[in-house]
Amino acid sequence: MSQLAETAADVMPILGKSAKELKALGAQRHLSLSDAEWAAIQAHFKAVKREPSLAELETIAQTWSEHCKHKTFTSPIKYHEGKKTRSIKNLFQETIVAATEAVKKPWCLSLFKDNAGVVAFGKKWALAMKVETHNHPSALEPYGGAATGVGGVVRDILGVGLGAKPVLNTDTFCFGRPDYKGGLPEGAHHPMRTMRGVVAGVRDYGNRMGIPTAGGGIWFDDDYRLNPLVFCGTVGVMPQWAVKKQVKPGDLIVAVGGRTGRDGLHGATFSSANLGADAPSSAVQIGHAIQEKRVLDALLAARDKQLYSSVTDCGAGGFSSAIGELGADCGAMVRLEQAPLKVSDLDSWEIWLSESQERMVLAVNPKSLKALEAVFAAEGCELAVLGEFTKTGRLQVMHHERSVVDLDMKFLHKGLPRVEREAVWTPAPAAKPAGGVPKKMGEAIREMVANLNVCSREWVIRQYDHEVQGGTIVKPLQGVRHDGPGDACVIWPHAATGDMNDFAAFAVGHGMNPEYGRIDPYWMALAAVDEALRNLTCVGADPSRAALLDNFCWASPDDPKQLGALIRAAEGCRDAAKGFSAPFISGKDSLFNQSKDEKGKDLQIPGTLLISALAPVPDGRKAVTMDFKGVGNALYLIGRTNDELGGSLYHKTLGRTGGEVPKVSPPPRSTASRRCTRPPRAASCSPRTTCPRAAWPSAPSRWALPASSAACWTSTKSRATRASTPTRPCSSPSPPRASSSRSTRSTSPRSSATSASPPSPRWSAASGRPRPTQS
Amino acid sequence: MSGKVAAQNTYVLEVRLRTEYTDAEGAAALALLKEQGLTSLKEARMGRLYEITGALTANQAQQAGKDLLCDAVTQEFRVVPAGAAPMNGMNFWRVEVWLKPTVSDPVGATVVEAIAEAGLPKPASARCASLYLLSGRAMKAQIEKAVAKSLANPLIHRVVVTEAHP
Repeated sequence: MSQLAETAADVMPILGKSAKELKALGAQRHLSLSDAEWAAIQAHFKAVKREPSLAELETIAQTWSEHCKHKTFTSPIKYHEGKKTRSIKNLFQETIVAATEAVKKPWCLSLFKDNAGVVAFGKKWALAMKVETHNHPSALEPYGGAATGVGGVVRDILGVGLGAKPVLNTDTFCFGRPDYKGGLPEGAHHPMRTMRGVVAGVRDYGNRMGIPTAGGGIWFDDDYRLNPLVFCGTVGVMPQWAVKKQVKPGDLIVAVGGRTGRDGLHGATFSSANLGADAPSSAVQIGHAIQEKRVLDALLAARDKQLYSSVTDCGAGGFSSAIGELGADCGAMVRLEQAPLKVSDLDSWEIWLSESQERMVLAVNPKSLKALEAVFAAEGCELAVLGEFTKTGRLQVMHHERSVVDLDMKFLHKGLPRVEREAVWTPAPAAKPAGGVPKKMGEAIREMVANLNVCSREWVIRQYDHEVQGGTIVKPLQGVRHDGPGDACVIWPHAATGDMNDFAAFAVGHGMNPEYGRIDPYWMALAAVDEALRNLTCVGADPSRAALLDNFCWASPDDPKQLGALIRAAEGCRDAAKGFSAPFISGKDSLFNQSKDEKGKDLQIPGTLLISALAPVPDGRKAVTMDFKGVGNALYLIGRTNDELGGSLYHKTLGRTGGEVPKVSPPPRSTASRRCTRPPRAASCSPRTTCPRAAWPSAPSRWALPASSAACWTSTKSRATRASTPTRPCSSPSPPRASSSRSTRSTSPRSSATSASPPSPRWSAASGRPRPTQS
Repeated sequence: MSGKVAAQNTYVLEVRLRTEYTDAEGAAALALLKEQGLTSLKEARMGRLYEITGALTANQAQQAGKDLLCDAVTQEFRVVPAGAAPMNGMNFWRVEVWLKPTVSDPVGATVVEAIAEAGLPKPASARCASLYLLSGRAMKAQIEKAVAKSLANPLIHRVVVTEAHP
């Protein structure tokens, strides 16, 4: 049907329909609305005495989607843990936000409200970082899904404040084993194919945009075989004056970048559903990196001329989401016939909801329009005025003089009913390690080094351009042969600042270990934060200035056990942030990562938390790489080793189950980390390394370590002496351990494995600070 | 032929690596197909197809292929004639992997702009495809199945497998 032919057929009658009928309608249109949400919509339209249009229903479904409203994290929850029950009003506010407010960092410039978190970078500049997930699209079409994941997070950085210049991309993936031999349901891609496609997608989009990809990791587990996880991150640099944005009534709504097509419809609502064979193919998008590069160049030029007052990207939900959010506090009037289209046969709701890539929306003072048009024309980038922001408090959309949407902004953004959910966490009974087959240490180490979660990622890393922009100081591959991984990357963003005499740099590190989460997500969260901060520390970054990002990927929160585990992880994040005095600045949750397997059973991913950490390196010339620098260098063990091999690769190698996961105990105000990490005076000389388990800038040999091992190896006497007290640099007497089984230095065969391998530092053993409260 | 009729012309340009050059992409495709059980295949060569629709004459289409779409040193091109490909007893296969019409084609969009910037009439549309020329005994159904699991995604691609003389 042509857009001009739309008439009364565009109205979607819902008044008087039963819950069952509404559910069927929702399923037919992929709206992913719950019964309570349908009821709220029905009540609203009953009050205004009319039926909604299709575009209005689609707009509400998109705005209320899990992707846009994070319903699970913001809804009330009744949480049962053992015999105790308590109420959580808003998980996000009570964990991530509460911890960030508690640590009060004046250098945090923008938190949780914009497209990315922003922190100060010196007096003049700011760093913006965002990590997005693009899991469902990547499961359907690995290449296109991953590529547009990169494109989307880059646009988040372009759309934070008045826009930042992207200077670093990161990628972290979770796949099924590439040599998986079992069955797969109809339509599912083999993990090998998914992996190849995702890597190629990230490579092609990032490389073509001229942004270095220099950090990330890969984790293999067969439970990801139907739901791969694709985390795409971007760091941008912006002047501090550009952090704030404002929309004023009378500003023009200007769309720039790519044209609107039928691609990507229902991407937002798609994220609120379990992935299955009925997934809409329209949710697949194909990226156009060159188009986005044009947008980037034009947008930053326009920003520097202050030709617009606000900007956001067209992500999930397209114009509906972008204009709906920008105009949430005032109102907006949109005329869809002004939008440049890829094809002429789009219906009104398709233009409004399309998630075609490479588009941004600006708020522009009418006086600046001519100059803005000139800037975008110079880059060969299309621009169209779609309407204006108003002070009506309504979202009004017209198409050829026909009203398509007329919704109260208050209802749209505040009308989402909050339904209390149930969550259950049953603490696993303390179990001593059991089972498995003992192996000789050499044999076990050989197996661990060959493990998929340990072996080299060079074949992936080499596909990425990590040198473009010329600012990658600590690179993803290190050592004399440039094939050994590192802890974190260090970037000198002179391409953004234009100042070749300012050597201020920044580092980005990651932490993740879903194996710990299988035992206890709380300790998994603490360990992930700990690992990310240690990775930063090891390259010479200042951990007292570290900012964190959380990315939760979970199965369906409708399952109380899954939601209980999610709460445990969120509370772990809260306690880690408070304990390390490191604020969260941004994050994202991707839920419903479960699918029917070949036998029709639900296959849930392991609860997965990726922690990304960002910190300044005051002088990039003094950044540290992890490779040994010379024969005769001293090797120091920092921290205390405990009997905490639960979830470790060593246990997995032996086939052993049970045991304690490492229990991180942050030191007071990160004292220990600061002592360990005073920026070095010599450039790139002395390695200190941690024991990461997911990041690809990490030594394969170190991945083989028992996950609970706690030590650090340094190779240069002078460095170790300078950086910390040699033998127990960050370890003043450690706190007494509650459990006698966690001896400080076990003599069990497992602990010999620890001492045989180079372990990592842990702040847990570094001070007498009480362990974080276990809620 | 009037101008309006000319605007409806459609040309399919085929660009391939010259046979004297090693075809790494073809080798990678062959490995993927063999992983799917097509072990009887001997060789795979890869190319690109561009379906261009617009007001271009045959000469202008040739010019676009020669000047824009083909590296004259390492590649060769031809305008694919309409009509069925000659059969050759299941030993040679031509596999075309096209994006479905509903899926965006960024490369095609770039080709449209590039042709216009080259001073030729701007095409109404351009769509791109991957072309695989396979040699080795196989059944059409086997190839279709293997391609769907390795070189194409049925969700976004349309695959055309035909017997073809090399």
